[in-house]
Amino acid sequence: MNELSRAQIRDLMAQVLKNQDKELPADDAAQLREIGFRSLDFSELALRVEDETGEELNFDAPGLRRIATVGDVLDFLVELQHQ
Amino acid sequence: MTVATSRHPAPAHPEPAGVDNRLVVGGAALTWRSLPTPTLPDPAAVLAHSAVHALTAARQHAVHGTELLLSTASRVDAVMRNELLEAGFTVSVLDDDGVHPSAPARPRAAEPGRLWLLTSGSTGRPKRVGHTLDTLTTVRADQPDRTWLCPYAPGTYAWWQVVTLSLTQPGQHLVVVEPDELDDWPSVAAAHGVDAASGTPTFWRRTLYRDADALARVPLRQITLGGEPVDQAILDQLREVFPAARISWIYASSEVGASIVVHDGRAGFPADWLDRETPGRPTLSVRDDELVVTSPYHGAGLAGPIRTGDRVQVLDGRVLITGRLDSDEINVGGSKVSAGVVRGVLAGHPAVAWARVTGRRAPVLGRMVVAEVVLAPTDPASVDSGVPDEAALVRWCADRLPEHAVPRRIRVLTDIPVKETLKSDV
Repeated sequence: MNELSRAQIRDLMAQVLKNQDKELPADDAAQLREIGFRSLDFSELALRVEDETGEELNFDAPGLRRIATVGDVLDFLVELQHQ
Repeated sequence: MTVATSRHPAPAHPEPAGVDNRLVVGGAALTWRSLPTPTLPDPAAVLAHSAVHALTAARQHAVHGTELLLSTASRVDAVMRNELLEAGFTVSVLDDDGVHPSAPARPRAAEPGRLWLLTSGSTGRPKRVGHTLDTLTTVRADQPDRTWLCPYAPGTYAWWQVVTLSLTQPGQHLVVVEPDELDDWPSVAAAHGVDAASGTPTFWRRTLYRDADALARVPLRQITLGGEPVDQAILDQLREVFPAARISWIYASSEVGASIVVHDGRAGFPADWLDRETPGRPTLSVRDDELVVTSPYHGAGLAGPIRTGDRVQVLDGRVLITGRLDSDEINVGGSKVSAGVVRGVLAGHPAVAWARVTGRRAPVLGRMVVAEVVLAPTDPASVDSGVPDEAALVRWCADRLPEHAVPRRIRVLTDIPVKETLKSDV
């Protein structure tokens, strides 16, 4: 299975922000609210992961959770690839 | 099996008024009168082998009133063929050798003068809709003499519109292009003096994309668009090539007939046309974002207000028809987005020749707006051709649309997809 590493997902996340002239901080604890990464951006990132791997993510698999930091986003998408 | 074509019944109708109009088919100059005169079964479902056979069947219907469903073999699959045989039609291939009939499962008496259309099937399987030459003839006022291009698939509503015009009005000539000539139609049209052409927005976009210079050499005085949502960008692009032509768009379908005709060069129609009742004219309404038409040109068995399945949006006093109701609306996290409106914005980018906008499954929001585009050909001589990348196109949209309507993923295709109906399913 074609799977992206946490670092690769981080690169894609940086790209999403860069397209809006925003920067992704190096710190995984950075708050999404503060860097302006919102649900539309999160959805875009998920589509980019799908496009890179050529596989559909099963968005329904994991239960709802709190995604507040950069690290939360990366953890979630890494995990989603295993569902 | 081949049926002899020498004997045919006496004409049931007066000779069509346009019978001496010129027809150019596959480069050969003919007239309606000079077409072959095969005897068609009655009722017949004719699968025309090529354009000349389709015109032949239409002329025979006009002269003899034969009950007729006209199509091509590629539009009638095995299931449809059986349905037609069950419904009492003799399904007949018409080619250079004549009529090759398959007998109906349950023969029945013909209904004189009846014409059947197959809907394009954009919302499921094609349906049969009953018309007559009269209900299909929507242009009745005297027209200036024109030579029309007919690029449509035989037997479709749009095809019949051009064909009835030429059959019923002297001075309305036809140049018919076969599917394999479609990419090269401007040279055929220029050679035969085509000065009026009707096509889908996809047809026009493809033509502009492939060879705008060749298009500019066609002496067009009338340009008509229909069959798909018409956005401002395509109207403006055609205006640039043909500053003096009349550019019209038409809303028509097998079910409601030709209902809206707009000549002012703008997308949509004025909002004050809504709910205006004029005898003999269609009445246009909007119910729950859906265009509803009450028309004197309805197909048989249809009466009263018909829900068209087309989605509309009123913007700046214009009623825009944005696409099919079941595919135009994209729900992004509870916010409604019209794919047609987004498509219009993308198509308005100077480097975009064609765009398709869809919803794609996404986390959190349920759906997200995504797009495919074909970029306009660039001038190879120019070093800085300014080909936009995905980010540039996203920014273009972000400057013009609410945030949730901005397509975040935009894929670049190398050619404009098109189907036999000349539509792109956008």
